[in-house]
Amino acid sequence: MSIQRSARGSVLLRVMRYNELGLLVVAVLLFAFFSLGSPYFLKVRNLSNLLGQISMTMIAGVGLSVLVIAGEVDISIGSLQAVVAIPLVMIMNATGHFWYGVIPALLTGLLVGAINGYFVTKLKINSLIVTLGMFYLLRGLVYFATGKVPISDKTDDPTFYTVASGKLFGLIPYMAILMFIILIAFIYILRHTTFGRRLYAVGGNPEVTRAVGINPERMKFKAFLICGLLSSVSAILLASRLSSANHMAGQGFEFQVVAAIVMGGVSLAGGVGNLVGAFIGVFIFGIIQNGMGLMRIGTQYQLVITGLIIVAAVAIDEIRRGKA
Amino acid sequence: MSGGPQLLEVRGIVKDFPGVKALDGVDLELRAGEIHALVGENGAGKSTMIKILAGLYRKDAGDILFEGEKLDLRSPHDSLEKGIKVVFQELSLIKGLSIAENVFLESFPLRRNGAVDWKTMRSRTAEILDSIGLSLDPRTMVGALTTSQQQMVEIARALSHDAKVVIMDEPTSALTPNEVSFLFVVIRKLKAMGKGILYVSHKLEEVFELCDRVTVYRDGQHISTCDIGDTNARQLVSDMVGREVSTLFPHTHTGVGETVLSVRGLCTDAKLRDVSLEVRAGEVVGVFGLLGAGRTELAKAIFGFDRVSSGGVSVGGVPLRAGSTTHAANAGLGLLTEDRKGEGLVLQMSVSQNMTLPSLADFSSAGFMSFRREAAKSQEFVDKLSIKTPSLKQKVEYLSGGNQQKVLLARWLLKTLKVIILDEPTRGIDVGAKSEIHRLIDELAKDGLAVLVMTSEMPELLGVSDRVLVMNGGRITGEFTRDAATQEAILTAAIA
Repeated sequence: MSIQRSARGSVLLRVMRYNELGLLVVAVLLFAFFSLGSPYFLKVRNLSNLLGQISMTMIAGVGLSVLVIAGEVDISIGSLQAVVAIPLVMIMNATGHFWYGVIPALLTGLLVGAINGYFVTKLKINSLIVTLGMFYLLRGLVYFATGKVPISDKTDDPTFYTVASGKLFGLIPYMAILMFIILIAFIYILRHTTFGRRLYAVGGNPEVTRAVGINPERMKFKAFLICGLLSSVSAILLASRLSSANHMAGQGFEFQVVAAIVMGGVSLAGGVGNLVGAFIGVFIFGIIQNGMGLMRIGTQYQLVITGLIIVAAVAIDEIRRGKA
Repeated sequence: MSGGPQLLEVRGIVKDFPGVKALDGVDLELRAGEIHALVGENGAGKSTMIKILAGLYRKDAGDILFEGEKLDLRSPHDSLEKGIKVVFQELSLIKGLSIAENVFLESFPLRRNGAVDWKTMRSRTAEILDSIGLSLDPRTMVGALTTSQQQMVEIARALSHDAKVVIMDEPTSALTPNEVSFLFVVIRKLKAMGKGILYVSHKLEEVFELCDRVTVYRDGQHISTCDIGDTNARQLVSDMVGREVSTLFPHTHTGVGETVLSVRGLCTDAKLRDVSLEVRAGEVVGVFGLLGAGRTELAKAIFGFDRVSSGGVSVGGVPLRAGSTTHAANAGLGLLTEDRKGEGLVLQMSVSQNMTLPSLADFSSAGFMSFRREAAKSQEFVDKLSIKTPSLKQKVEYLSGGNQQKVLLARWLLKTLKVIILDEPTRGIDVGAKSEIHRLIDELAKDGLAVLVMTSEMPELLGVSDRVLVMNGGRITGEFTRDAATQEAILTAAIA
């Protein structure tokens, strides 16, 4: 938790010690830069789009943050994006209703989370290895199931389109509203519940939690379930955007989410970070991608710039913290 | 007896740690061709002294004379260069490399073109191994060797550097009897080569079998040095212990209730052999044992931290589920772990968050925390134990060792317990904090808890316990009432 070193000092000093402030400055600078760089950036329509774009990353980012705070990682969430869409679209097509597809889609995410969690907590295999295996395995299964041809939506249920593309008052994407609900709920859970406190303790030092009667494996397993579940929520939104189950969906998504939350101060070592930081990280990532797109910067430059910004943001944060 | 020339002379060494004076002007001398024992209780200053000689710690004052030359040891490299090699209990070998590579780790023999001269390295390693009577292929991976063989590789490393002083730190604690006798043969060979050997141990029978002279430290001070023929075990024990202790410890709890903690035939694969014990409400039972006796293993096995191969534990008549610390904690058992950083504190978390970790249920309803109640209770214990911290939100990492230990104690005092197990509750903390913790142990018993204290400090053991159990080699080898417990009797049971 980004608790300051001591409670003394002025309000300003206290705020300064929060890790998120440096990130917020970066976000504001980027915002200003792209506002000057493209006349379209500050348009309401674009900002509304931007909000929609970061929603999927953030929803999965909440789940992954919970897991990373517990001291584990899941890089199978990109492949999961494609997997979850298959039962979703197939059952939708069979029943004609969007909501009938949602339950099996969410269960698929939970199942994958449970399998990952089982291998990590029962068989004690490193989570990077387990989920790396799952990353390949799931993508392979998707190729089998789809024959590398997208399964398109054949229903006429408008809900499927609306979840990802509808906007409240034509302004705020429904996706973003869902994202904020999930984000705020989990900010509260991490801060104000015994579950949240135990999660930080498990990520901070699992042996200590065992010594005080908390079962660290059980906590980590729950974190895997949460990560799988929220990743499948973002997968449903992605499928809705693509209006199909696409075998290419979510490629590179896992690293985008990892990079964004780590940039937001969620430490891969476990036990450190919070969702406000993670959100700012995702936001910065969103601004960069959106802004560079608008400025028509070539893909080759976009990749290089993205890479530089990730490393720079984390380095600046480390330096600042070291001197704090 | 062993009249070699003076090799090493240490005079008036002082070493201060925050809050503790580990060495208070101690002396030590070592002759060539001599095996010199250094004995003392835990905390006497033996380890500090050898770490200074190994170049791991810097002395605050005093002189180290090596063959008459004043040494300033700044790093392990310095010590080795001068010819002082310490073989620590925790061996410092690289398991993924061969014997030869480990022996010549600091200075690989090179060919003229700068490449490693493997042939020379192997043949010289083979020579060295041969000189101490060890027939091992220098190409063997160190990871494949037994502990005893690894120790020999450390000794070979000393010889490759032509060390004149070899310091052995508790070398037999992990060895079988056969390995011990082989080690002694090797040590005697070193002696015959004219090396000076400092043999640090608390196993007195080994000292009498092997050594020529013996030096006793106690509480960071030099007590005595004499030829082994001029002393006996009784004299050494009294030199090691000799201190008025009883008055330091409050002992106000009286009256003992029902049996609360009952341990039956506990065995673990690694250490414990058929351990049974009972602790009653309002009773403090001390468990004494030297390093490696199995104290910590017993504490952890009772709490369900380690896998138990047979036997069981019950609290208040309710059997505990094996291997479940959650069940143990719910049944009213608390364990203060010995390893403060590894198993005690979550360093990234605050003082208050560390305190309430096992009792979160008491500060929440339906899983939602009440920060107000948590802060109030934490503050109460910060005041009660006089924990020095600028605030409850201070990261526990930044507290001193004694205050960290108090935070850990507060953690269990906050919770309603039936049994508390304290594993080395005062290790590494200053005298003031120590006596506060002793007072707390007394109060816990007064409040009707069953208290089990694992300790290797004799005064603490005698001061706090109503009953003393002695462990040795994973078994309980002695039991004494408070009145019958004498230092000599306990040490005898612990060493036998």
